[in-house]
Amino acid sequence: MKVSLKWLKEYVALPDDIKALCDRLDLTGTGVEGIEKIGASFDNIVTGQIVTKDAHPDSDHLWVTTVDVGQANLGANDTPESLQIVCGAQNFNAGDHVAVALVGAVLPGGIQIKKSKLRGVTSCGMNCSERELGLGSEHDGIMILSQDAPVGVPFADYMQMGDVVLDLEITPNRPDCLSMIGMAREVGAIYGEAIHLPDQELLEIADATANYVEVEIADALRCPRYTARIIKGVKVGPSPDWLVQCVTAAGARSINNIVDVTNYILFLLGQPLHAFDFDTLKGADGKAHIIVRAAEDGEVFTTLDGEKRILKNDMTVIATPACAVALAGVMGGLTSEVSEETTTILLEAATFSSAHTSRTSRNLGLISESSMRYERGVDDNAIAFNADFAAALIAQVSGGEVCSGLVDVWEHKTEPIELAFRINRFNAMVGEDVPSDFIEDTLVRLGCVVTKAQADVLSVVAPTFRPDLEREIDLFEEVLRIYGMDRICPTLPGGRGRIGVRSIEEKAVSLIHANLRSSGLNETMTYSLVQPDEIERLRMDASEMGQAVELINPINADQSVMRQSIIPGLLQSVVYNQSHGVKNIQLYEMGSVFFGAEGKKQPKEKQKVAGIMAGAMGDGGWNSQPSAFDFFDGKGIVESLVRELAVARVRFKAFEEQEAPHLQPGRAASVWSGGSLLGWVGELHPLAVAAFDATAPVIAFELDLTALIKASKPARDYVDIPVFPAVTMDVALVVDEAVSHERLMQGMTSAGGNLLEQVNLFDVYRDEERVGANKKSMAYALVYRAADRTLTSEEVDKAHERIIGKVKAATNAEVRS
Amino acid sequence: MAVVDELLLLKTKALNDIAQAGDSAALEQVRIGVLGKSGTLTGYLRSMGQVPQEQRAQVGKTTNEVRVAVEAALEARKAELAAVELAAQIDASALDITLPGRAQQMGTRHLISRITDEIAEIFLGIGYSVAQGPEVETDYYNFEALNSPPDHPSRGLADTFYVRDLSGEAAAVTGESDVLLRTQTSGVQVRVMEQQKPPIYIIAPGKVYRRDVADPSHLPQFTQIEGLVVDKGITFGDLKGTLDYFCKQMFGQDRKTRVRAHYFPFTEPSAEVDVSCGICKGEGCRFCKGTGWLEIMGCGMVDPNVFGYVGIDAEEYSGFAFGMGVERIACLKYNVPDLRMLLEGDMRFLRQF
Repeated sequence: MKVSLKWLKEYVALPDDIKALCDRLDLTGTGVEGIEKIGASFDNIVTGQIVTKDAHPDSDHLWVTTVDVGQANLGANDTPESLQIVCGAQNFNAGDHVAVALVGAVLPGGIQIKKSKLRGVTSCGMNCSERELGLGSEHDGIMILSQDAPVGVPFADYMQMGDVVLDLEITPNRPDCLSMIGMAREVGAIYGEAIHLPDQELLEIADATANYVEVEIADALRCPRYTARIIKGVKVGPSPDWLVQCVTAAGARSINNIVDVTNYILFLLGQPLHAFDFDTLKGADGKAHIIVRAAEDGEVFTTLDGEKRILKNDMTVIATPACAVALAGVMGGLTSEVSEETTTILLEAATFSSAHTSRTSRNLGLISESSMRYERGVDDNAIAFNADFAAALIAQVSGGEVCSGLVDVWEHKTEPIELAFRINRFNAMVGEDVPSDFIEDTLVRLGCVVTKAQADVLSVVAPTFRPDLEREIDLFEEVLRIYGMDRICPTLPGGRGRIGVRSIEEKAVSLIHANLRSSGLNETMTYSLVQPDEIERLRMDASEMGQAVELINPINADQSVMRQSIIPGLLQSVVYNQSHGVKNIQLYEMGSVFFGAEGKKQPKEKQKVAGIMAGAMGDGGWNSQPSAFDFFDGKGIVESLVRELAVARVRFKAFEEQEAPHLQPGRAASVWSGGSLLGWVGELHPLAVAAFDATAPVIAFELDLTALIKASKPARDYVDIPVFPAVTMDVALVVDEAVSHERLMQGMTSAGGNLLEQVNLFDVYRDEERVGANKKSMAYALVYRAADRTLTSEEVDKAHERIIGKVKAATNAEVRS
Repeated sequence: MAVVDELLLLKTKALNDIAQAGDSAALEQVRIGVLGKSGTLTGYLRSMGQVPQEQRAQVGKTTNEVRVAVEAALEARKAELAAVELAAQIDASALDITLPGRAQQMGTRHLISRITDEIAEIFLGIGYSVAQGPEVETDYYNFEALNSPPDHPSRGLADTFYVRDLSGEAAAVTGESDVLLRTQTSGVQVRVMEQQKPPIYIIAPGKVYRRDVADPSHLPQFTQIEGLVVDKGITFGDLKGTLDYFCKQMFGQDRKTRVRAHYFPFTEPSAEVDVSCGICKGEGCRFCKGTGWLEIMGCGMVDPNVFGYVGIDAEEYSGFAFGMGVERIACLKYNVPDLRMLLEGDMRFLRQF
């Protein structure tokens, strides 16, 4: 809310130091978001008086003047000294009061005033014309001020144009602060100053309001109180200057005297008003029959901004029997607006339900000064006073007459609430002893009625203009913020026996992070808000992903659903890097993916960890040449991760064709721990990579974090370090291409017996001539060892032969010599 | 010439040869020439039988002396040459140690995670544990149970992303829904208090979403850390002290904090917390917009109504809650100029931290 300090000063004394005021407001809960100095363009321009006027020795049209500017120019011993100013105007005499731009002033037109010499005579300022001050077109001479103008005061103050307007952030719990009176009360409480409430004497004519208006409230929940006043014989026209100044300082546009008064009262007292052109409302009997009723679903209504609105039953309208004339609490109608022809005003002062107003405003996307106040709460108890004040002011500025009596339908009166304020409990909450005198005084200044109920309990009646004061704690907050949160001594909680604990899951998660980083992957973060078609573009099988979680109000289509996989986001980061010339891309991310299901409010949120690699590990250097990433880099990362987590019975299973369409067939595997699926690793399908405009190959993996942690063990068991020597026997097996390493391994380990300790693949060799077409030679080192003795060569030979025999039989392998 | 004289001559020659040997190979040749199978001295040793009886003792003794002398000279020269050769070898294998080393390239932690870890460690140290909650929330946890009932004006504070409600329920306002992307991590407070009895000391980091267009200082998706304490006798002073401790740990011992009264529906009294500007030391500069202070979080005493929703007796327990934006701290502490960089995955950015 914009608060003019000049206006606010009428109701409460303000400190001179505006920065200090702003700091106090900030600390007590009214955020100062902006300080606008009105009249700032008159900085360094003061009022002065011409003391002497002499002809310039070297010019026939210039004058050398001395000008008294009072305190604005101090010489030695801080005594005022006149300025010598060379002036070219002809319209002045010694003794005239003038506007003087001092050295350093910047005139509205941009002219900078400097100390200068004009034909050899020093000039320390400038006597200004109206045009130079931006106040008019007059430039035949300098501006002559009235004879009683003070000397040496800021020109802006003299013209009463100086004002400071604060832009205040009013929190939603404080409807009262959306008014000058509310802010005056707030400032009064902060500084312990008395406030002066405004009043306006109301003169009524004999003709009764009731002769012109009848009001019916169809639903008291929507409208607790509705009042109407009639002002006859008004002349709609421009507002007086003071009124224009007030409403413009508050941020409104001056429209006409009637509308400006309604806005003035809105800003002054926080009471939204609506002025109808009475003649557009009256029925055949010459009376306006006002009905406050629910809108009909689909009812069409044109608000005064010219927009056609389609209403819902949840909205409330002010209507005549013929039609709706205003959208209650939000905006008036176009047809009943006050115009230049209007002679009789029906002035509405009412209060409407906050919830209905809030929903109406949100449903129509229409926020007004009125709706903002109604949705926070407008006090029904103040309405009669506010209506009278406004009617009197309308009569004053428009020459109209106010009919006698207020037509007042008050269906639901808000009663003040009486609350207990336990001083001990308050002090226990803040952790400090705040004097009870201070507590009482603060509450009284905020508008409460306070009596001492017991030694340390106050009985507090909260004013109805403070709907936020409903409970004892609400009063506590008031006292604490006025007392000053900055005055409370900082302490630490003394709770016994509390310990910060990391759960097993958190420990596993941080182990996973550390392991992936040690594999060279950089953690990143991508949007959870994604394009709806990205799963399809990636060619991912969506059959087990449930429904995408859709936003109702996305900012743009690119971020309109919640992600179902982390990979598309990572792939986009690959594209970003590739297009910026980064060649080695190693990224991973841990986070949620979302799977919705029909009939369920909240989706399943699954935690995933995914990685992506493109290019090579590092840039290559003087002593190393990194090779391009391939499937085995991805697999290696997953292997090292599951090893770190001590995941049991890990198996990489080749995907069948079509099982994972987003991956390149033959270079993709699902990852298992026993019977539980952990995720997948592989090269993204070239078509998927192309669909994202990335450059292949791109290696990726995505694992289910929960499954991974479930399969992990917090610690591995100790295994004895062998004491007896091992014997290593090599064998090269020539097999068909279709025979996998895994199958050969299974063959060897299942036939190995307890002497075979380890099998290491050390070479894969293909050569059509030496090995044969569609064949490969797989060379293994088989390590034999017994825990309790040194093996004899006979024992080893026997075991080795048995193994080779069984593998040959199982896989049609031949031993290559 | 007598045999003894021959031997002495041989000795002189051998010692001379040894001294002359320029490297280990030449020295070995000398050794073979003198002491080898067909070496000169070996010849004398072998032919000892042919030496007349009366000279034998004399010759034998001399031969032995020569052998010992030669062997000792060989040994000494060998050590000498080895030292020279090692020195030469060391000389030859000197490296330009300014060449880059052969390091394993480790990955990096994302800045937001790094800061989150740092914050979590600070609170872990004063007895807090970590809690989590869902990102797609219901109205109840994000608003209602946080004392922000339907149509309450405080809801206007957060621009909410609403999610299509698959349960089939319709919202009272077109374009809104009972299901939404959480606008704050505060919902975790409610979930924790529903599941756990006091004393409660937790922090809850996580992603939150607000309907803001991404620009250098806004993201529609960002990270918050929520804190909640519920215990007997918790005071506003405890809240101030805790946050003061945190700010000093996080930003430095010389930093000051101040609290400004504010409004949040789920705390009362509520406040915003500023930390003194680290650039101007509180004097006021462009970075802090002349105020000397940087806003870093919201906080307050848990509103009794919130306790009411979760069945904690507000007369017996009190507590405080606070929430801060991790991205904001990234800006303040690491001077990240554009928040969007945090979500781009640019390797050149990620590798900086």
